[in-house]
Amino acid sequence: MTGAAIAGLGITELGKVYGRSSTSLAAEAVRLAVADAGLALPDLDGLLVSSGIRQDVGVSLADVLALPELGLLAQVNAFGATAGVMVAQAAQAIASGAATTVACVFADTPLRPQRRAGDAWGSPRGDARAPRGLAGWSLASGAASPNILYALCARRHMERYGTTSAQLGDIAVAQRAWAAGNPRAAMRAPLTLAEHQASRWIAEPLHLLDCCLVSNGAVAVIVTSAGRAAGLCRPPVHLWGFGQAHAPRQLRAGSDWGVVTPAARSGPQAMRMAGIGVDDVDVCELYDCYTYTVLVTLEDYGFCPKGEGGQFVADGRLAPGGKLACNTGGGQLSAYYMWGMTPLSEAVIQARGDGGERQAPRHDVIMVSGNGGILEHHATLVLSPHPARRSAAW
Amino acid sequence: MTGPGAAAQAFPAVARDEASAEFFAAAARGELLMQRCPASGDVLGPQARTCPSCGSADLDPVVVSGRGTLVSWAVVHQAPVPSLAAAVPYLTAVVELAEGPWLLVRLAGAEGGDSLEPRVGLPLVACFLPSGAAGDEPAGEMLPAFMPLARATA
Repeated sequence: MTGAAIAGLGITELGKVYGRSSTSLAAEAVRLAVADAGLALPDLDGLLVSSGIRQDVGVSLADVLALPELGLLAQVNAFGATAGVMVAQAAQAIASGAATTVACVFADTPLRPQRRAGDAWGSPRGDARAPRGLAGWSLASGAASPNILYALCARRHMERYGTTSAQLGDIAVAQRAWAAGNPRAAMRAPLTLAEHQASRWIAEPLHLLDCCLVSNGAVAVIVTSAGRAAGLCRPPVHLWGFGQAHAPRQLRAGSDWGVVTPAARSGPQAMRMAGIGVDDVDVCELYDCYTYTVLVTLEDYGFCPKGEGGQFVADGRLAPGGKLACNTGGGQLSAYYMWGMTPLSEAVIQARGDGGERQAPRHDVIMVSGNGGILEHHATLVLSPHPARRSAAW
Repeated sequence: MTGPGAAAQAFPAVARDEASAEFFAAAARGELLMQRCPASGDVLGPQARTCPSCGSADLDPVVVSGRGTLVSWAVVHQAPVPSLAAAVPYLTAVVELAEGPWLLVRLAGAEGGDSLEPRVGLPLVACFLPSGAAGDEPAGEMLPAFMPLARATA
Protein backbone atom coordinates (compact mmCIF):
# COMPACT_ATOMS: atom_id res chain seq x y z
CA MET A 1 0.00 0.00 0.00
CA THR A 2 1.46 3.36 -1.00
CA GLY A 3 0.66 6.97 -0.38
CA ALA A 4 -0.57 8.83 2.66
CA ALA A 5 -3.70 8.71 4.75
CA ILE A 6 -5.41 10.69 7.47
CA ALA A 7 -5.40 8.55 10.59
CA GLY A 8 -6.70 10.92 13.23
CA LEU A 9 -9.07 13.86 13.63
CA GLY A 10 -9.30 16.22 16.59
CA ILE A 11 -11.94 18.94 16.96
CA THR A 12 -12.18 21.17 20.04
CA GLU A 13 -15.27 22.94 21.25
CA LEU A 14 -16.14 25.43 18.49
CA GLY A 15 -17.85 28.80 18.24
CA LYS A 16 -18.20 31.13 21.21
CA VAL A 17 -15.34 29.56 23.14
CA TYR A 18 -13.97 32.32 25.33
CA GLY A 19 -11.12 32.59 27.78
CA ARG A 20 -8.70 30.30 25.95
CA SER A 21 -5.78 31.17 23.71
CA SER A 22 -5.46 29.91 20.14
CA THR A 23 -2.33 28.01 21.21
CA SER A 24 -4.18 26.24 24.02
CA LEU A 25 -6.94 25.21 21.60
CA ALA A 26 -4.36 24.08 19.01
CA ALA A 27 -2.63 21.92 21.60
CA GLU A 28 -5.95 20.34 22.58
CA ALA A 29 -6.85 19.61 18.95
CA VAL A 30 -3.51 17.86 18.36
CA ARG A 31 -3.96 15.78 21.54
CA LEU A 32 -7.47 14.82 20.44
CA ALA A 33 -6.28 13.87 16.94
CA VAL A 34 -3.38 11.80 18.26
CA ALA A 35 -5.70 9.98 20.68
CA ASP A 36 -8.26 9.44 17.90
CA ALA A 37 -5.55 7.72 15.86
CA GLY A 38 -4.56 5.55 18.80
CA LEU A 39 -1.14 7.20 18.99
CA ALA A 40 0.71 9.19 21.63
CA LEU A 41 2.28 12.63 21.25
CA PRO A 42 5.84 11.23 21.15
CA ASP A 43 4.84 9.29 18.03
CA LEU A 44 4.70 12.56 16.09
CA ASP A 45 7.76 13.52 14.08
CA GLY A 46 6.15 16.31 12.14
CA LEU A 47 3.97 19.34 12.97
CA LEU A 48 2.45 21.89 10.61
CA VAL A 49 0.70 24.86 12.19
CA SER A 50 -1.87 27.16 10.60
CA SER A 51 -3.07 30.33 12.26
CA GLY A 52 -6.26 32.17 11.35
CA ILE A 53 -7.40 35.78 11.50
CA ARG A 54 -5.47 36.46 14.71
CA GLN A 55 -2.21 34.94 13.44
CA ASP A 56 -1.20 33.97 16.95
CA VAL A 57 -0.18 30.31 16.76
CA GLY A 58 3.26 29.29 15.57
CA VAL A 59 5.95 26.66 15.74
CA SER A 60 6.29 27.15 19.49
CA LEU A 61 3.31 24.83 19.68
CA ALA A 62 5.88 22.03 19.43
CA ASP A 63 7.31 23.16 22.80
CA VAL A 64 3.87 23.40 24.36
CA LEU A 65 3.29 19.76 23.37
CA ALA A 66 6.84 18.77 24.41
CA LEU A 67 7.27 17.03 21.08
CA PRO A 68 10.45 15.03 20.54
CA GLU A 69 12.86 15.48 17.66
CA LEU A 70 10.93 16.43 14.55
CA GLY A 71 11.71 15.94 10.88
CA LEU A 72 9.19 18.56 9.80
CA LEU A 73 8.07 21.70 11.61
CA ALA A 74 6.64 24.83 10.00
CA GLN A 75 3.96 27.44 10.14
CA VAL A 76 2.07 27.38 6.86
CA ASN A 77 -0.08 30.17 5.50
CA ALA A 78 -1.98 30.19 2.24
CA PHE A 79 -4.99 31.68 4.04
CA GLY A 80 -8.11 29.56 3.50
CA ALA A 81 -6.17 27.16 1.28
CA THR A 82 -3.78 26.26 4.09
CA ALA A 83 -5.37 23.01 5.28
CA GLY A 84 -5.00 21.36 1.86
CA VAL A 85 -1.50 22.75 1.47
CA MET A 86 -0.52 21.30 4.86
CA VAL A 87 -1.89 17.83 4.12
CA ALA A 88 -0.08 17.77 0.76
CA GLN A 89 3.14 18.95 2.39
CA ALA A 90 2.80 16.28 5.09
CA ALA A 91 2.21 13.60 2.44
CA GLN A 92 5.27 14.72 0.49
CA ALA A 93 7.39 14.70 3.66
CA ILE A 94 6.20 11.17 4.38
CA ALA A 95 6.91 10.06 0.80
CA SER A 96 10.42 11.52 1.01
CA GLY A 97 11.16 9.92 4.35
CA ALA A 98 11.53 13.25 6.16
CA ALA A 99 8.75 12.31 8.57
CA THR A 100 6.39 9.43 9.25
CA THR A 101 3.58 10.93 11.30
CA VAL A 102 2.59 14.58 10.91
CA ALA A 103 0.00 16.59 12.83
CA CYS A 104 -1.59 19.44 10.85
CA VAL A 105 -3.47 21.92 13.03
CA PHE A 106 -5.48 25.11 12.60
CA ALA A 107 -6.52 27.33 15.50
CA ASP A 108 -8.06 30.77 15.84
CA THR A 109 -9.87 32.90 18.42
CA PRO A 110 -11.21 35.95 16.56
CA LEU A 111 -14.55 36.08 18.42
CA ARG A 112 -14.71 38.28 21.51
CA PRO A 113 -17.56 38.50 24.03
CA GLN A 114 -19.93 41.42 23.35
CA ARG A 115 -18.43 42.10 19.95
CA ARG A 116 -19.96 41.61 16.52
CA ALA A 117 -18.59 38.70 14.52
CA GLY A 118 -17.81 41.17 11.72
CA ASP A 119 -15.43 43.04 14.02
CA ALA A 120 -13.10 40.06 13.76
CA TRP A 121 -12.20 41.24 10.28
CA GLY A 122 -12.68 44.97 10.61
CA SER A 123 -11.78 47.17 13.51
CA PRO A 124 -8.75 45.62 15.20
CA ARG A 125 -6.56 46.50 12.26
CA GLY A 126 -8.74 48.78 10.17
CA ASP A 127 -9.17 51.89 12.28
CA ALA A 128 -6.29 51.71 14.69
CA ARG A 129 -4.74 54.72 12.98
CA ALA A 130 -6.04 57.50 10.75
CA PRO A 131 -5.87 56.37 7.13
CA ARG A 132 -2.81 57.76 5.41
CA GLY A 133 -1.35 57.76 1.94
CA LEU A 134 -2.48 55.51 -0.86
CA ALA A 135 -3.67 52.95 1.68
CA GLY A 136 -5.86 55.70 3.10
CA TRP A 137 -7.34 56.43 -0.33
CA SER A 138 -7.92 52.72 -0.75
CA LEU A 139 -9.68 52.42 2.61
CA ALA A 140 -11.80 55.53 1.98
CA SER A 141 -12.76 54.14 -1.42
CA GLY A 142 -14.56 51.52 0.58
CA ALA A 143 -13.65 48.04 -0.69
CA ALA A 144 -12.13 47.50 2.74
CA SER A 145 -13.20 43.97 3.72
CA PRO A 146 -13.51 40.48 2.24
CA ASN A 147 -17.32 40.87 2.29
CA ILE A 148 -17.10 43.76 -0.15
CA LEU A 149 -14.43 42.27 -2.39
CA TYR A 150 -16.37 39.01 -2.73
CA ALA A 151 -19.49 41.06 -3.48
CA LEU A 152 -17.57 42.64 -6.38
CA CYS A 153 -16.66 39.15 -7.62
CA ALA A 154 -20.22 37.83 -7.31
CA ARG A 155 -21.52 40.89 -9.17
CA ARG A 156 -19.20 40.18 -12.09
CA HIS A 157 -20.55 36.63 -12.31
CA MET A 158 -24.15 37.85 -12.11
CA GLU A 159 -23.64 40.44 -14.84
CA ARG A 160 -21.77 38.08 -17.14
CA TYR A 161 -23.88 34.94 -16.71
CA GLY A 162 -27.19 36.01 -15.22
CA THR A 163 -26.55 34.34 -11.87
CA THR A 164 -29.07 35.48 -9.26
CA SER A 165 -29.09 36.11 -5.53
CA ALA A 166 -31.77 33.42 -5.21
CA GLN A 167 -29.37 30.90 -6.74
CA LEU A 168 -26.77 31.84 -4.14
CA GLY A 169 -29.58 31.42 -1.63
CA ASP A 170 -30.12 27.85 -2.83
CA ILE A 171 -26.60 27.09 -1.60
CA ALA A 172 -27.24 28.62 1.82
CA VAL A 173 -30.55 26.76 2.17
CA ALA A 174 -29.03 23.41 1.15
CA GLN A 175 -26.15 23.77 3.60
CA ARG A 176 -28.48 24.68 6.44
CA ALA A 177 -30.48 21.55 5.74
CA TRP A 178 -27.28 19.51 6.09
CA ALA A 179 -26.36 21.40 9.28
CA ALA A 180 -29.53 20.14 10.93
CA GLY A 181 -27.83 16.75 11.14
CA ASN A 182 -24.54 18.06 12.55
CA PRO A 183 -24.38 18.37 16.35
CA ARG A 184 -21.35 20.68 16.00
CA ALA A 185 -23.16 23.14 13.73
CA ALA A 186 -23.84 26.60 15.17
CA MET A 187 -26.90 27.23 12.97
CA ARG A 188 -29.25 24.25 12.75
CA ALA A 189 -32.72 25.79 12.46
CA PRO A 190 -34.22 25.27 9.00
CA LEU A 191 -33.69 28.13 6.56
CA THR A 192 -35.99 29.10 3.70
CA LEU A 193 -35.04 30.88 0.52
CA ALA A 194 -37.39 33.70 1.53
CA GLU A 195 -35.45 34.13 4.79
CA HIS A 196 -32.20 34.22 2.85
CA GLN A 197 -33.61 36.86 0.53
CA ALA A 198 -34.95 38.90 3.45
CA SER A 199 -31.68 38.86 5.40
CA ARG A 200 -30.05 42.27 5.44
CA TRP A 201 -27.59 43.37 2.82
CA ILE A 202 -23.97 43.31 3.90
CA ALA A 203 -22.56 44.41 0.55
CA GLU A 204 -25.13 44.04 -2.21
CA PRO A 205 -25.33 41.52 -3.96
CA LEU A 206 -24.37 39.60 -0.79
CA HIS A 207 -26.94 39.20 1.96
CA LEU A 208 -26.00 38.39 5.55
CA LEU A 209 -26.86 34.73 4.89
CA ASP A 210 -24.41 34.59 1.98
CA CYS A 211 -21.58 35.16 4.46
CA CYS A 212 -19.83 32.64 6.72
CA LEU A 213 -19.81 32.53 10.48
CA VAL A 214 -16.83 33.46 12.63
CA SER A 215 -15.74 30.85 15.20
CA ASN A 216 -13.18 30.21 17.88
CA GLY A 217 -11.63 26.75 18.13
CA ALA A 218 -9.11 24.38 16.63
CA VAL A 219 -9.04 21.32 14.35
CA ALA A 220 -6.16 18.90 13.75
CA VAL A 221 -5.57 15.87 11.56
CA ILE A 222 -2.83 13.24 11.72
CA VAL A 223 -1.26 12.32 8.37
CA THR A 224 0.81 9.15 8.09
CA SER A 225 1.66 6.53 5.51
CA ALA A 226 -1.24 4.49 4.19
CA GLY A 227 0.53 1.37 5.45
CA ARG A 228 0.88 2.65 9.00
CA ALA A 229 -2.65 4.06 8.98
CA ALA A 230 -4.03 0.62 8.15
CA GLY A 231 -2.66 -0.70 11.45
CA LEU A 232 -4.14 2.08 13.61
CA CYS A 233 -7.48 2.15 15.36
CA ARG A 234 -9.61 4.26 12.99
CA PRO A 235 -10.40 3.51 9.34
CA PRO A 236 -7.78 5.31 7.21
CA VAL A 237 -8.88 8.15 4.97
CA HIS A 238 -6.62 7.77 1.97
CA LEU A 239 -5.18 10.70 0.07
CA TRP A 240 -5.73 9.97 -3.60
CA GLY A 241 -4.64 13.28 -4.97
CA PHE A 242 -3.84 16.87 -4.18
CA GLY A 243 -3.29 20.13 -5.99
CA GLN A 244 -2.74 23.77 -5.33
CA ALA A 245 -2.77 26.89 -7.48
CA HIS A 246 -2.36 30.57 -6.79
CA ALA A 247 -3.15 33.66 -8.84
CA PRO A 248 -2.49 36.97 -7.14
CA ARG A 249 -5.23 39.45 -7.92
CA GLN A 250 -4.87 40.67 -11.50
CA LEU A 251 -6.35 44.13 -11.56
CA ARG A 252 -6.05 45.09 -15.20
CA ALA A 253 -7.82 44.89 -18.55
CA GLY A 254 -8.76 41.39 -19.60
CA SER A 255 -8.61 39.94 -16.08
CA ASP A 256 -11.00 37.15 -15.09
CA TRP A 257 -10.49 38.00 -11.42
CA GLY A 258 -13.45 36.83 -9.39
CA VAL A 259 -15.04 34.87 -12.21
CA VAL A 260 -12.37 32.23 -12.92
CA THR A 261 -10.33 31.17 -9.88
CA PRO A 262 -7.18 29.08 -9.30
CA ALA A 263 -9.54 26.17 -8.55
CA ALA A 264 -9.62 25.71 -12.33
CA ARG A 265 -5.99 24.51 -12.14
CA SER A 266 -5.87 23.02 -8.65
CA GLY A 267 -8.96 20.81 -9.08
CA PRO A 268 -7.95 19.10 -12.33
CA GLN A 269 -4.40 18.64 -10.97
CA ALA A 270 -5.74 16.77 -7.92
CA MET A 271 -8.18 14.73 -10.01
CA ARG A 272 -5.43 13.73 -12.45
CA MET A 273 -3.29 12.53 -9.58
CA ALA A 274 -6.24 10.59 -8.17
CA GLY A 275 -7.12 9.14 -11.55
CA ILE A 276 -10.71 10.35 -11.36
CA GLY A 277 -13.07 12.79 -13.03
CA VAL A 278 -15.90 14.84 -11.56
CA ASP A 279 -18.39 12.08 -12.37
CA ASP A 280 -16.59 9.85 -9.87
CA VAL A 281 -17.07 12.29 -6.99
CA ASP A 282 -19.67 11.28 -4.40
CA VAL A 283 -19.24 14.10 -1.90
CA CYS A 284 -17.91 17.66 -2.21
CA GLU A 285 -16.67 19.54 0.82
CA LEU A 286 -16.06 22.99 -0.62
CA TYR A 287 -14.64 26.06 1.04
CA ASP A 288 -17.55 28.41 1.62
CA CYS A 289 -16.50 31.76 2.98
CA TYR A 290 -19.46 32.93 0.88
CA THR A 291 -22.18 31.10 -1.03
CA TYR A 292 -20.60 32.43 -4.20
CA THR A 293 -17.32 30.66 -3.45
CA VAL A 294 -19.11 27.31 -3.62
CA LEU A 295 -20.74 28.19 -6.94
CA VAL A 296 -17.55 29.36 -8.63
CA THR A 297 -15.56 26.39 -7.29
CA LEU A 298 -18.09 23.91 -8.70
CA GLU A 299 -17.69 25.57 -12.09
CA ASP A 300 -13.91 25.72 -11.93
CA TYR A 301 -13.69 22.05 -10.91
CA GLY A 302 -15.79 21.19 -13.96
CA PHE A 303 -19.00 19.99 -12.29
CA CYS A 304 -20.77 22.29 -14.76
CA PRO A 305 -19.66 24.62 -17.54
CA LYS A 306 -18.46 28.12 -16.63
CA GLY A 307 -21.44 30.36 -16.12
CA GLU A 308 -23.93 27.58 -15.39
CA GLY A 309 -23.23 27.33 -11.66
CA GLY A 310 -26.43 29.17 -10.78
CA GLN A 311 -28.63 26.66 -12.60
CA PHE A 312 -26.48 23.78 -11.35
CA VAL A 313 -27.09 24.52 -7.66
CA ALA A 314 -30.83 25.17 -8.10
CA ASP A 315 -33.59 22.74 -7.16
CA GLY A 316 -31.76 21.38 -4.14
CA ARG A 317 -29.03 19.59 -6.06
CA LEU A 318 -26.58 20.15 -3.18
CA ALA A 319 -29.10 19.49 -0.38
CA PRO A 320 -29.70 16.24 1.50
CA GLY A 321 -31.26 13.86 -1.03
CA GLY A 322 -29.93 15.90 -3.95
CA LYS A 323 -27.73 14.65 -6.75
CA LEU A 324 -24.45 15.96 -5.29
CA ALA A 325 -23.86 15.84 -1.54
CA CYS A 326 -22.06 19.10 -0.81
CA ASN A 327 -20.93 20.64 2.47
CA THR A 328 -22.65 17.91 4.42
CA GLY A 329 -21.86 19.37 7.83
CA GLY A 330 -23.31 22.77 7.01
CA GLY A 331 -19.94 24.24 6.11
CA GLN A 332 -18.68 27.59 7.27
CA LEU A 333 -22.03 29.18 6.42
CA SER A 334 -23.94 27.16 9.03
CA ALA A 335 -21.57 25.02 11.13
CA TYR A 336 -18.19 26.48 12.04
CA TYR A 337 -15.50 28.69 10.54
CA MET A 338 -12.20 26.87 10.79
CA TRP A 339 -10.93 27.93 7.35
CA GLY A 340 -9.89 24.90 5.26
CA MET A 341 -10.23 22.62 8.25
CA THR A 342 -14.01 22.97 8.05
CA PRO A 343 -14.33 21.12 4.72
CA LEU A 344 -11.43 18.78 5.59
CA SER A 345 -12.84 17.73 8.97
CA GLU A 346 -16.24 17.00 7.45
CA ALA A 347 -14.58 15.02 4.66
CA VAL A 348 -12.83 12.79 7.21
CA ILE A 349 -16.11 12.27 9.08
CA GLN A 350 -17.92 11.36 5.84
CA ALA A 351 -15.15 9.09 4.57
CA ARG A 352 -15.24 7.12 7.82
CA GLY A 353 -19.01 6.84 7.66
CA ASP A 354 -19.29 8.75 10.94
CA GLY A 355 -21.79 11.30 9.62
CA GLY A 356 -24.75 9.96 11.58
CA GLU A 357 -27.97 11.67 10.48
CA ARG A 358 -26.10 13.55 7.79
CA GLN A 359 -24.03 10.67 6.40
CA ALA A 360 -23.96 10.78 2.61
CA PRO A 361 -25.10 7.39 1.27
CA ARG A 362 -22.17 7.14 -1.14
CA HIS A 363 -18.83 8.39 0.12
CA ASP A 364 -16.18 6.52 -1.85
CA VAL A 365 -14.66 9.63 -3.43
CA ILE A 366 -14.65 12.94 -1.59
CA MET A 367 -13.36 16.19 -3.03
CA VAL A 368 -12.17 18.87 -0.60
CA SER A 369 -11.38 22.48 -1.47
CA GLY A 370 -9.65 25.33 0.29
CA ASN A 371 -9.79 28.92 -0.90
CA GLY A 372 -7.81 31.87 0.35
CA GLY A 373 -7.52 35.58 -0.18
CA ILE A 374 -10.07 37.01 -2.58
CA LEU A 375 -10.31 33.85 -4.73
CA GLU A 376 -6.51 34.01 -5.08
CA HIS A 377 -5.26 30.83 -3.39
CA HIS A 378 -6.65 27.35 -3.85
CA ALA A 379 -5.91 23.83 -2.63
CA THR A 380 -7.70 20.60 -3.48
CA LEU A 381 -7.63 17.15 -1.87
CA VAL A 382 -9.22 13.94 -3.15
CA LEU A 383 -9.92 11.57 -0.26
CA SER A 384 -11.35 8.09 -0.01
CA PRO A 385 -11.89 5.31 2.52
CA HIS A 386 -10.26 3.00 -0.05
CA PRO A 387 -6.54 2.70 -0.81
CA ALA A 388 -5.41 4.70 -3.83
CA ARG A 389 -6.17 2.93 -7.10
CA ARG A 390 -2.72 3.63 -8.40
CA SER A 391 0.53 4.65 -6.82
CA ALA A 392 0.59 8.37 -6.64
CA ALA A 393 3.26 9.92 -8.84
CA TRP A 394 4.62 12.57 -6.50
CA MET B 1 -11.38 65.59 -15.94
CA THR B 2 -14.13 67.11 -13.96
CA GLY B 3 -14.45 68.84 -10.64
CA PRO B 4 -16.61 67.80 -7.70
CA GLY B 5 -20.26 68.50 -8.39
CA ALA B 6 -21.30 65.18 -6.85
CA ALA B 7 -22.86 65.01 -3.45
CA ALA B 8 -20.53 64.68 -0.48
CA GLN B 9 -19.33 61.09 -0.28
CA ALA B 10 -18.43 61.09 3.39
CA PHE B 11 -14.81 60.16 2.86
CA PRO B 12 -12.91 59.90 6.12
CA ALA B 13 -10.02 62.38 6.22
CA VAL B 14 -6.96 61.01 4.44
CA ALA B 15 -3.50 62.53 5.01
CA ARG B 16 -0.65 62.29 2.53
CA ASP B 17 2.63 60.60 3.36
CA GLU B 18 5.95 60.81 1.58
CA ALA B 19 5.18 58.00 -0.87
CA SER B 20 1.81 59.49 -1.86
CA ALA B 21 2.73 63.18 -1.99
CA GLU B 22 2.90 63.33 -5.80
CA PHE B 23 -0.37 61.41 -6.16
CA PHE B 24 -2.28 63.77 -3.88
CA ALA B 25 -0.65 66.88 -5.34
CA ALA B 26 -1.90 65.70 -8.74
CA ALA B 27 -5.36 64.98 -7.35
CA ALA B 28 -5.51 68.49 -5.91
CA ARG B 29 -4.88 69.75 -9.48
CA GLY B 30 -7.62 67.50 -10.85
CA GLU B 31 -5.18 65.00 -12.34
CA LEU B 32 -5.13 61.25 -11.89
CA LEU B 33 -1.58 60.00 -11.39
CA MET B 34 -0.79 56.36 -12.19
CA GLN B 35 2.49 54.59 -12.99
CA ARG B 36 3.94 53.45 -16.29
CA CYS B 37 6.59 50.82 -16.94
CA PRO B 38 8.98 52.29 -19.54
CA ALA B 39 10.13 48.79 -20.56
CA SER B 40 6.72 47.23 -21.29
CA GLY B 41 4.63 50.35 -21.72
CA ASP B 42 2.08 48.97 -19.25
CA VAL B 43 0.16 51.51 -17.19
CA LEU B 44 -0.22 50.31 -13.60
CA GLY B 45 -2.11 51.42 -10.51
CA PRO B 46 -0.47 53.81 -8.05
CA GLN B 47 0.32 51.06 -5.54
CA ALA B 48 2.00 48.62 -7.97
CA ARG B 49 5.63 47.90 -7.15
CA THR B 50 6.43 45.54 -10.00
CA CYS B 51 5.37 45.44 -13.64
CA PRO B 52 3.49 42.13 -14.09
CA SER B 53 4.50 41.95 -17.76
CA CYS B 54 8.27 42.29 -17.41
CA GLY B 55 9.05 42.24 -13.70
CA SER B 56 10.65 45.65 -13.72
CA ALA B 57 10.53 47.72 -10.54
CA ASP B 58 11.45 50.95 -12.34
CA LEU B 59 8.07 52.61 -12.75
CA ASP B 60 7.51 56.23 -13.78
CA PRO B 61 4.61 58.44 -12.72
CA VAL B 62 2.16 59.20 -15.55
CA VAL B 63 -0.95 61.36 -15.69
CA VAL B 64 -3.79 59.39 -17.30
CA SER B 65 -6.94 60.49 -19.08
CA GLY B 66 -9.29 59.83 -16.18
CA ARG B 67 -11.64 58.04 -18.57
CA GLY B 68 -12.73 54.51 -17.72
CA THR B 69 -15.53 51.98 -17.72
CA LEU B 70 -17.35 50.12 -14.97
CA VAL B 71 -16.26 46.50 -14.38
CA SER B 72 -18.12 45.66 -11.16
CA TRP B 73 -19.73 47.35 -8.18
CA ALA B 74 -21.19 46.69 -4.74
CA VAL B 75 -23.55 48.68 -2.56
CA VAL B 76 -22.00 48.60 0.88
CA HIS B 77 -24.55 48.60 3.69
CA GLN B 78 -22.42 47.43 6.60
CA ALA B 79 -19.43 49.70 7.16
CA PRO B 80 -16.27 47.58 7.11
CA VAL B 81 -14.52 49.96 9.51
CA PRO B 82 -15.94 52.59 11.91
CA SER B 83 -14.52 55.48 9.87
CA LEU B 84 -16.87 54.52 7.02
CA ALA B 85 -19.96 54.37 9.25
CA ALA B 86 -21.10 57.81 8.10
CA ALA B 87 -20.72 56.84 4.45
CA VAL B 88 -23.05 53.82 4.23
CA PRO B 89 -24.77 52.95 2.04
CA TYR B 90 -22.15 53.73 -0.59
CA LEU B 91 -21.20 52.42 -3.99
CA THR B 92 -17.74 50.98 -4.38
CA ALA B 93 -16.57 49.81 -7.77
CA VAL B 94 -13.93 48.23 -9.95
CA VAL B 95 -13.15 50.67 -12.75
CA GLU B 96 -11.04 49.88 -15.82
CA LEU B 97 -9.05 52.91 -16.89
CA ALA B 98 -8.79 53.58 -20.62
CA GLU B 99 -5.05 52.91 -20.19
CA GLY B 100 -5.68 49.41 -18.78
CA PRO B 101 -5.32 49.21 -14.99
CA TRP B 102 -8.24 48.50 -12.69
CA LEU B 103 -8.89 50.68 -9.67
CA LEU B 104 -11.03 50.01 -6.61
CA VAL B 105 -12.77 53.35 -6.19
CA ARG B 106 -15.88 55.05 -4.89
CA LEU B 107 -18.61 55.60 -7.45
CA ALA B 108 -20.00 59.11 -7.09
CA GLY B 109 -23.02 60.76 -8.59
CA ALA B 110 -25.73 58.90 -6.70
CA GLU B 111 -26.53 58.21 -3.07
CA GLY B 112 -27.42 54.61 -2.39
CA GLY B 113 -26.80 53.65 -5.98
CA ASP B 114 -30.33 53.21 -7.28
CA SER B 115 -30.56 56.27 -9.47
CA LEU B 116 -27.12 55.74 -10.97
CA GLU B 117 -28.10 52.53 -12.78
CA PRO B 118 -24.68 50.93 -12.85
CA ARG B 119 -23.96 48.49 -15.67
CA VAL B 120 -20.88 46.75 -17.00
CA GLY B 121 -19.13 49.02 -19.48
CA LEU B 122 -20.77 52.23 -18.23
CA PRO B 123 -18.45 55.08 -19.34
CA LEU B 124 -16.98 56.87 -16.32
CA VAL B 125 -14.71 59.78 -15.63
CA ALA B 126 -12.56 60.63 -12.64
CA CYS B 127 -13.73 63.31 -10.24
CA PHE B 128 -11.97 64.62 -7.17
CA LEU B 129 -13.76 64.91 -3.86
CA PRO B 130 -12.69 66.32 -0.51
CA SER B 131 -12.01 63.91 2.34
CA GLY B 132 -12.82 64.57 5.96
CA ALA B 133 -15.26 67.06 7.45
CA ALA B 134 -15.35 70.76 6.55
CA GLY B 135 -13.13 72.67 8.94
CA ASP B 136 -10.81 69.74 9.66
CA GLU B 137 -7.28 70.90 10.51
CA PRO B 138 -5.34 69.93 8.54
CA ALA B 139 -7.85 69.43 5.71
CA GLY B 140 -8.05 65.93 4.25
CA GLU B 141 -6.63 65.35 0.79
CA MET B 142 -8.76 65.45 -2.36
CA LEU B 143 -9.51 61.85 -3.33
CA PRO B 144 -10.12 60.46 -6.81
CA ALA B 145 -13.53 58.85 -7.35
CA PHE B 146 -15.44 58.12 -10.55
CA MET B 147 -18.78 59.26 -11.89
CA PRO B 148 -20.78 58.53 -15.05
CA LEU B 149 -19.33 60.38 -18.03
CA ALA B 150 -22.83 61.34 -19.16
CA ARG B 151 -23.44 63.08 -15.86
CA ALA B 152 -20.11 64.88 -15.92
CA THR B 153 -20.71 66.29 -19.40
CA ALA B 154 -24.41 67.07 -18.90
